[in-house]
Amino acid sequence: MSILINKKTKVLVQGITGTQASFHVQRALKYGTKIVAGVVPSKKEDFHLGIPVFETVKEAKEKTDATASIVFVPAKFAKSAILEAIDAKLELVVVITSGIPVGDMMEIKHRLQNSKTILIGPNTPGVITPNEAYMGIFPDNIHNSGNIGIVSSSSTLTYEIVLEMNKIGLGQSTVVGLGDDFIVGSSVGSIIEKFNKDAKTKASVIITGIYGNDETEIIEKYSKLKNKKPVIALIIDDNTALSEANSIAELICKNSFDVSDRKNKLRDAGIIVVDNITDLKKELLKVC
Amino acid sequence: MNIHEYQAKSIFSKFGINVPNGFIAYTPKEAKEAAYKISEIGPWVVKAQIQAGARDEGKFSDKRAGKKGGIRLSKSIEDVYSNANEMLENMLITNQTGAKGRLVSRVYVEEYIKSVNKFYVGLTIDKETASVVLIVSSDYDKDNEDIINAMETPNKLFKVNLGLQRKIDKKQASEVCDFMQAKVLVGDMKNFIDSLLNVFYTYDATAVEINPIGVTKNGQIWALDAKICFDSNALYRHKDITSMVDEAEIEERELKALKFGFQYKELDSGIGIIVNGDGLALNTINEAKNINLDTACFLNLKGGVDRDKIAESIKLIMTNPKVDGIFINILGGFLRCNLIADGILNVANDLGLNIPLIVRFEGTNKDEATEILNKSNLSFLIAEDTASGLNMLKRAIEEDF
Repeated sequence: MSILINKKTKVLVQGITGTQASFHVQRALKYGTKIVAGVVPSKKEDFHLGIPVFETVKEAKEKTDATASIVFVPAKFAKSAILEAIDAKLELVVVITSGIPVGDMMEIKHRLQNSKTILIGPNTPGVITPNEAYMGIFPDNIHNSGNIGIVSSSSTLTYEIVLEMNKIGLGQSTVVGLGDDFIVGSSVGSIIEKFNKDAKTKASVIITGIYGNDETEIIEKYSKLKNKKPVIALIIDDNTALSEANSIAELICKNSFDVSDRKNKLRDAGIIVVDNITDLKKELLKVC
Repeated sequence: MNIHEYQAKSIFSKFGINVPNGFIAYTPKEAKEAAYKISEIGPWVVKAQIQAGARDEGKFSDKRAGKKGGIRLSKSIEDVYSNANEMLENMLITNQTGAKGRLVSRVYVEEYIKSVNKFYVGLTIDKETASVVLIVSSDYDKDNEDIINAMETPNKLFKVNLGLQRKIDKKQASEVCDFMQAKVLVGDMKNFIDSLLNVFYTYDATAVEINPIGVTKNGQIWALDAKICFDSNALYRHKDITSMVDEAEIEERELKALKFGFQYKELDSGIGIIVNGDGLALNTINEAKNINLDTACFLNLKGGVDRDKIAESIKLIMTNPKVDGIFINILGGFLRCNLIADGILNVANDLGLNIPLIVRFEGTNKDEATEILNKSNLSFLIAEDTASGLNMLKRAIEEDF
């Protein structure tokens, strides 16, 4: 088992004809991802890389039964592409695009409240279920199938951790990159809930990003879970150089100014907290 | 992206917010002329224009400015002249500028508004709820820390989540009035906050704040200060704002990297780190610290795909005199390792390899990248992972001595 995607998931790609999209779609096809359609609003060709291309998400969904979309549309046009996917009631939308204005994401996030669509990203490496399928831009062949679920707010740090897990013979059930942007579609807690339900996942890892004030949501969701599986959170001490706020208002909204306070709250809720990858590996070996 | 106070005030004024009458001056003579244009009798306020807070408590590096800060009440035209003269072309150091301070290239001269109450008012975005938040505090005009400390005393801070509301309702406006306990009509408060929201949404701001607003005897609200932070991802929609950027406010190398779409930050002296993600930067800096390597600067190439831009950015670190060794740590996903290898090779051929350089590639097009470096006639050191790369670099730097 896995969460969000597997080798049977039918995937469409919005913006499939772009240079970056073409490159990554070819790699994903080789990996085993079932990409069944492309969507380009002003399409010039009926097929791209051998995949049928449609003008709307709705039509692509009707003709191919796709349930999920990868969005490679440039930032300026991403809002309408994402809203189109939500309106077409796709189950999963993974947005690779970076540089989407915060204001656009605020609107999208509010639209999600009345929909069943799960939005991953933007600015994410995507979602991968190793040895089955991935939606996104993951590096070649670094992931191995296993029992650990990863939910992360940092793409590069996730790759680093996957490589370190390989050294101790551990693999992943599914890896979910939530995205590096200020506002993203999904919360850590909602993914932890899914991992807890997944038969294959034995334990999950949370990798927090630069803007960390999500502990309240994580704790709220985690404390409600029945038959809790272990959760390990990696919080590398905040580096002021990376996380400086521009204004007083921004600082006030960060909620937690104190990393150790954040760690303590998570620990009190029963989550294992580590601050470096070496300790993360030690804890993973204990729970596996 | 930030702009100066006087620029933010001109935007506020267009949106119907009361701002004191004022003019920008680049010389003491211009400051004097500005004062005359405002009034015959004063008083006036002369304000150093730098994009950092706590100006009032700041100190100037050149002693001619005396002990006074960057915001000065001036009671005569002569005062305006001498205050401008002391501040201009001087470095203003506040607790937000770093030890070097920022060069004051212009001052803003404005009329003095006598107020009976002052407050901090700010709008920003709450990440978790993707909503606009209004913050009002009775602590104002102070350092960031002091206003945050006000959070601990709830009666000093008023915070309300506005969702995507583009206007507040009467009830919310009267709650703000109740909190302030100032003599302001609910309708005036609503107009004021609605104008701020209008600025916020019109310009894709990430924060709009006034520290402080002044409430006059007859209940008028005045923006005595102004700050707008813009979402750099949305600037393509606001060409008029882009032209307001004061490039002197940004470090030269940082500015160059920004123009290529990358992030560059200077920390201290030590090693230079080139990565392709925030998380990786954080982890690499941390692991370096663990083996007693300080970081001079880091460059985040994010998902860069342009060979020339990558090469030019790598040059920024290679030519930084504070850097005694470089670790290029790339985990390619979207970004392809071979493009980085091309960039490294270009720069190394151009400048030569004068300091130790360790490269680590993993992920997309790793093999192609390694081959590019191996084929060159320069001897690059290639590491397997972050820890071994940093250790190799440490040894290489120590052997240099």
